[in-house]
Amino acid sequence: MKKVMVAAVFAVALAILAANALGSAKAPARASASSLATASVTCGKLRTIGMAAPITGPASDIGNQQVRWAKFFVKRWNASKANRNQKIKLVTGDTQLGVDTAFAVKVAQSFKSNSKLLAVVGPAGSQEVVASTTAYKAGGLGFVSGSASRTSLTDGHTDGNRRGYFYRTVPSDAAQGPTVANYMTKTLKWKRVYIIDDQETYSQGLADGVQKILNAKGVTTKRDSISQKDSDFSAAIAKIPSNYQGIYIPWQLAPQAQAFGQQLQAAGKGHIKLFGSDGLFAPGVWKIAGSYDSAFPYNPTDPVVKAYVKAHGGNGEFFGLPSYVAAQVDTLAVTKACKAGHGKTTRAAVRKQIAKTNIATTILGFRVGFKSSGEMKLPAAYGIYQIQKNGSFKRIG
Amino acid sequence: MLLAIWVFYAVYFSPTQGWTFFLQLTVDGIILGSIYALIALGYSMVYGILKLLNFAHGDVAMIGAFIGFGVLTLLGGPLSPAIPVVALVACMFVVAMLGSGFLGLAIERFAYRPLRDAPRIAPLISALGVAFFLENSVLLLFGANYRNYDGYDLISYNGIHLGGSAGVFVSYLGVMVITGALLLMVGLVALVRWTRFGKAMRAVSFDREAAAMMGIDPDRVIATTFFVGSALGGAAGVMFGLVYSQIYYLVGFLAGLKGFTAAVVGGIGSIPGAMLGGLLVGLVESWAKGYLNGNVADLVVFGILIGVMLIRPQGLLGTPALQKV
Repeated sequence: MKKVMVAAVFAVALAILAANALGSAKAPARASASSLATASVTCGKLRTIGMAAPITGPASDIGNQQVRWAKFFVKRWNASKANRNQKIKLVTGDTQLGVDTAFAVKVAQSFKSNSKLLAVVGPAGSQEVVASTTAYKAGGLGFVSGSASRTSLTDGHTDGNRRGYFYRTVPSDAAQGPTVANYMTKTLKWKRVYIIDDQETYSQGLADGVQKILNAKGVTTKRDSISQKDSDFSAAIAKIPSNYQGIYIPWQLAPQAQAFGQQLQAAGKGHIKLFGSDGLFAPGVWKIAGSYDSAFPYNPTDPVVKAYVKAHGGNGEFFGLPSYVAAQVDTLAVTKACKAGHGKTTRAAVRKQIAKTNIATTILGFRVGFKSSGEMKLPAAYGIYQIQKNGSFKRIG
Repeated sequence: MLLAIWVFYAVYFSPTQGWTFFLQLTVDGIILGSIYALIALGYSMVYGILKLLNFAHGDVAMIGAFIGFGVLTLLGGPLSPAIPVVALVACMFVVAMLGSGFLGLAIERFAYRPLRDAPRIAPLISALGVAFFLENSVLLLFGANYRNYDGYDLISYNGIHLGGSAGVFVSYLGVMVITGALLLMVGLVALVRWTRFGKAMRAVSFDREAAAMMGIDPDRVIATTFFVGSALGGAAGVMFGLVYSQIYYLVGFLAGLKGFTAAVVGGIGSIPGAMLGGLLVGLVESWAKGYLNGNVADLVVFGILIGVMLIRPQGLLGTPALQKV
């Protein structure tokens, strides 16, 4: 009797699962890609945009900075009386950057299926952009990243064509690499630099670019790589000659950089300075004092930046700042598309408005508009920061 | 064989990088191998007594690492410990080992014991299920965020320089891990060889039914074996966290896989084999990362597993299964 009962429970559970699976399998069949892009959406007083960011996982520190900055924009937008009939709702999805790009794809698919969702902020990582492009394009969604900086994302061919869908509010690594290499040679006067990538294409692209410039300037470089899954860096550290002055680590996972720095110190090589990239801009997580980092441009005198810093206990969390602008781009595009459609719009119409973006004053410190490739029209310089003893990042260049 | 591999590496690679480099990699490999050996012991003990591949064992070690981190956090953290560091580290190990041990008991009681007389594939699938259950439970409870032990901040960045300041460096934390692992392994050997429980364990491993007829309670012996093996896994988890800093919900997967490889290379079911296998896998991984590239380290480790299986299917110190005809 007991076995029959157990079998019956299993049968019911299986039937429920099968019904759910069939239900979810049917949904995409009813709505083709083109219909999702052109399906009419009633704007109403509350419009929805999505945000794909690493809310948990090894990159959660930078991901949550992005979410907080994007929410800061939405809060300010919704608080304005002028926007009382065109408020924004931000729906977040956790991409767990550094664990598996499959999470970013799942988020993209859920955004695609959300018929109210009109545009997306994110994803954060370049590899996530590559992995989830198909889903966003299938859903007809425009997506604006505040941190995916790999140069090839916008060239239209190297790792997929996403023109007309993908935009970014950060300069590409083509701008970051020269800034880093120049600082190493002109300011720090380094002659020997060890370069370690983390095997992700974002990291490899930056490492290649910086190495090429350093070699051209006569700097001796050596190259190695680790994996984002690695915890034991002892062998990699043993290979680093003690007479090298710096180690360039263009990685994405700040906890990994922290562990690397600790193991470097424990191996008696703490005198070699670390130099990270924007992916490691995580004050309080990567806190090896004296290390350098390159990060996005911003305008510290902007009242919005000051208000954010004040509202967050003096912590600027500047890695997330371009996501504020990304949310601003999406919101303005949705608002204009809704206005043009007299209360109704489509994802395709919103994408057209994103392409036409022209925001005169932004917290980045310059006008934001996009080229057809998805890059910002105006070039912007990266800043150089140094980690202080209390773990904060101080701008030095 | 270990010596042969050592000499091969030394002769072929050291002239380009120097002996110090080779010895540094060797020391780092021994530290890593000590942790793998502790994990491998858990696999080997369970296989020895039940002929079960407990694929959840790596995740038990992960839980141990999380328990150790919890104790560390509760007692003030690495930068401002509320009690003396020695006492804090001891607390981390004791609580993590007890927690992992009791978790092992629970896994045996609810996931494996009901399947003891089922076909051998059933407990194997159950083991995989337990592994996913543990990983996802930690994900749900604590999220996917990385936790950083900051072990060097807690203990010390200093260490011993062998052969002068430009020589081989062994951190005090590394010394602690090697010594701790060695003590636990010696304790385990003593337990198995010179105690009544050890004798009962060997008897159950040899012939469960005959042992039962001799008055031994096999269920109790198996449960205790799970407790001891899981406790060793918990200790390995804390050591991993202290030395390599980062822990997260999937950290047990690869470490467990390496521990399993170590157990198989050494001869699964053999306690000295698990120790030897652990050290060998740690050394090979360290050498491969140092002389070749981090990308190919796992390829080399698992390539060795395949090689050993082809040449000596029972492992380096294992005994071939007798076929009764």
